[in-house]
Amino acid sequence: MSNTKAFSEITRRTGAVLATALVLAVSFAANAQPKTLGFVITTWNTGLYESKFVDECPEGFNIGYDEIWWRGLSKPERARLTDNGLKSRLDRYFNAIRRGPNKEDVCMNPTIVKDPPLLTVEGKVSYGANLDGNADGSATANTCKHENFTGLDGTPGIDNQMYRLLGCVYGFRSYGQFEVNANENRKSNGNGMTLIEVTGVDDEKNDNDVKVSFYRAIDQYTLDGGGNFTPFASYRVDAAGGKLRYGSAVKGRIENGVLTTDEGDVNLPFYGNYTYMNQEIKDMRLRLELSEDGAKVNGMASGYYGVDQLMFYIGGLGPISSTAISNCPSIYLAAHELADGHPDPQTGKCTALSSAYNFRAVAAFIIHPKAEQTASADQK
Amino acid sequence: MHRVKFRSCLIALATGMTLIVSGCDQPAPPVTGAAPTMRLLSESQYRNIIADLFGAQITVGGSFDPLVRTNGLLTVGATNARITPAGLEQFDRMARSIAEQVVSEANRDVLIPCKPASVSSPDDACATAFYKNVGRILYRHPLTDDEVRSPVAVAAAAGRDLGNFYDGIASGLAGMMVSPSFLFSIDATEPDPSLPGKVRLDGYAKAARLSFFLWNTTPDDQLLTAAEKGALHDKKGLNAQVDRMLGSPKLETGMRAFFNDMLAFDDFAKIEKDSIIYPSFSAAVAEDAKEQSLRTIVDLLITQQGDYRDLFTTRKTFMSGPLGRIYRVPVDRPDGGWIPYEFPEGDQRAGLITQISFAALYSHPGRSSPTLRGRAIRESLLCQKIPDPPGDVDFSLFNDPNSPNKTARDRLSAHATQPACAGCHKLTDPIGLAMERIDGAGQLRTTESGASIDPSGDLDGVKFTDAVGLGKAMRDNPAVPPCIVNRVYSYATGRTPERTEQPLLNHFEKQFTSAQFRLPKLLQSIAASDALFAVAAPEARAAAAPPEKDNKS
Repeated sequence: MSNTKAFSEITRRTGAVLATALVLAVSFAANAQPKTLGFVITTWNTGLYESKFVDECPEGFNIGYDEIWWRGLSKPERARLTDNGLKSRLDRYFNAIRRGPNKEDVCMNPTIVKDPPLLTVEGKVSYGANLDGNADGSATANTCKHENFTGLDGTPGIDNQMYRLLGCVYGFRSYGQFEVNANENRKSNGNGMTLIEVTGVDDEKNDNDVKVSFYRAIDQYTLDGGGNFTPFASYRVDAAGGKLRYGSAVKGRIENGVLTTDEGDVNLPFYGNYTYMNQEIKDMRLRLELSEDGAKVNGMASGYYGVDQLMFYIGGLGPISSTAISNCPSIYLAAHELADGHPDPQTGKCTALSSAYNFRAVAAFIIHPKAEQTASADQK
Repeated sequence: MHRVKFRSCLIALATGMTLIVSGCDQPAPPVTGAAPTMRLLSESQYRNIIADLFGAQITVGGSFDPLVRTNGLLTVGATNARITPAGLEQFDRMARSIAEQVVSEANRDVLIPCKPASVSSPDDACATAFYKNVGRILYRHPLTDDEVRSPVAVAAAAGRDLGNFYDGIASGLAGMMVSPSFLFSIDATEPDPSLPGKVRLDGYAKAARLSFFLWNTTPDDQLLTAAEKGALHDKKGLNAQVDRMLGSPKLETGMRAFFNDMLAFDDFAKIEKDSIIYPSFSAAVAEDAKEQSLRTIVDLLITQQGDYRDLFTTRKTFMSGPLGRIYRVPVDRPDGGWIPYEFPEGDQRAGLITQISFAALYSHPGRSSPTLRGRAIRESLLCQKIPDPPGDVDFSLFNDPNSPNKTARDRLSAHATQPACAGCHKLTDPIGLAMERIDGAGQLRTTESGASIDPSGDLDGVKFTDAVGLGKAMRDNPAVPPCIVNRVYSYATGRTPERTEQPLLNHFEKQFTSAQFRLPKLLQSIAASDALFAVAAPEARAAAAPPEKDNKS
């Protein structure tokens, strides 16, 4: 059969029967209308290159604020807080987080204490892309001076100051609690699920002009009996009141089955560790390796991530920070020092960190809101 | 007069009338009738009766003894079924549970039409009113005095012992529900006044036969009233009831039960798939696959009153979220609802045999099975018997992961060279292999173990290139109409048609063909026929039956 015909038929019926914009995620034969590919992101991880022996962190991992607080206590204070050692469990977090001079929350007031400086990545290799276009890390009109990495494939000029910042913070590594929790949270409650739609695809192997759009799904993941993500499920896009809440789009191309995009400012939904985010990634570009069967794909997004946005997330991580071994004040100071993109026009200081995110996705059908619903909502 | 009938028949056909074409039916051949039977209620009939009588809020728990499929139908097997001691225990447990729910404080005011003089003691008058009321539906006839007296006595004794009228009522009701009068549909007979010395089904037995045939449940009040008035012995009265029943929404329930039986969909209860090989296949997919096929059937045959043969070629169906993942089509009902769906022209899916239900049901847990699929087509849809395989079949060729035979066609070709196997595989495999581009979970594929799958074949000399082509060959196969006629008649009567009934089946087939293969016409022909109700005393049948011949046709 001709899958192309299948798609044509579905598209034709879209208005008449379902009145929805149905987007097909599977491959179709050539010689017909442009096709559409759809994916739902299943895991999203900060792109931290982790060497086998953690060589990128020669002084080891950072200590979290629990430990910083504990180390700063005198012996009598330790005795008092532990009831002379009789308390088997100590509420470390709530004491540690409020260790400002007047019991201020140090995540809300990260400069109120002077913590040890953050141990940052000293490795030379990183995930990411050459976002600023130069290979030496020198300042440009839109960037600040920074040290570049080399890509895993030897590409010079890789910008990933987010990695330099967080690569030695245990909780942000792939096995750390922040990352694991966030992926598990989305999997179990369906919040912050991102849909990627690639439209105008004439040839899945090579096409120099496609459009890549990003949406939020309002349906939970479809899982099989083993808890694995099931491809080819249908997901409706978030269009509360008939209006899309997401929908950033960038131009892209497919070369030898690899989709890459131009840069563009993209808004993505996010949920993890009890925090909802409307993430903005500036100058974001995407790389997506399309698979033969179209069912599962791997990708990487890279772009500039605002420091304020990052600190909003880290500041809200709460007690998880104890087990994830993280410390707001140290990260806050280092983030501002390492920021390499989007300088403030007034101060000239950079406000965003170059970054990369590795993600996995499975094929999905993306269901757009009914045309008439959208229209009526727009008319209101 | 004959000319007028012929003309109206032609006009009806020319204008594409799909319902009953009155006036053009030829008289049915005479029938002798079979011995009266006792047919055990099926699980779905039991559940439907309880829901009809007491409401859907009553939970029916427990398990039912399996029935033996006979002549392709469990319904025929039910005619010869017995209740095992363990089965009776189950019925008893279910009856007690249902009775307790009926008399519960939440339901008693609605389900029991009277209030006792005292809750703490028996009330024979109220008990009598209740049992007469429910007994008429449960037993499918008005209760005799003896039939009323028994549960009333039980209710009185239990009510006294337990100090509660309602507990007594529950005891009596539970007793009624393990009675053969409830658990079996019994062919009660009476002398036939028009044929002295012969017997006929009494009106209530006719009502039950009609109701279980068309609705898969107990007769409703109107049907029992018609039976009570003797209207079912009268052609006009019978036709009126049949027409009413065919127009009822309950017809869908009845036809779902029939096709569920004919297609052996009861096997979905035990379907298993290897989750490593088929991770997308789940219990929800299995449930929806069955439902999809039944919805397709009901929509085409009942709602649209379409040509039965189109069941093998139709691209129209219904889709749910779990099925969309297997078919790889978008479904704008991720909430679990259904949407109408039409596969596009040229798609590899068209017709019942390309749906997930058929493909997955007739497969192994970890791989497809051209043989099972071919056999199911031959047996269920063409009514051709395929012998069971011998007990010592060597399956090593199929189970060897390093076999050089990569595709099922390769493996079966090697297997079918064994003379003992070749005979049956010649019948099953050429059609089963047509479905090989649908794997054991119902998903499309083009290769197996890296080798391209060739789905071409032939059905009784008609060549095709794939499963859709097989569907077209099925649609035009001359064995398809007589098969559905045979199955519907067997289902209606609860028995395998006898050889002497072949002219009758031919007659029904002719009417079915004249009606452009519309199922409601076939149902009407059989439901309104004398044959459906024909019974004969054993001695009469023995005298009428021709000598036994070995009929291989």
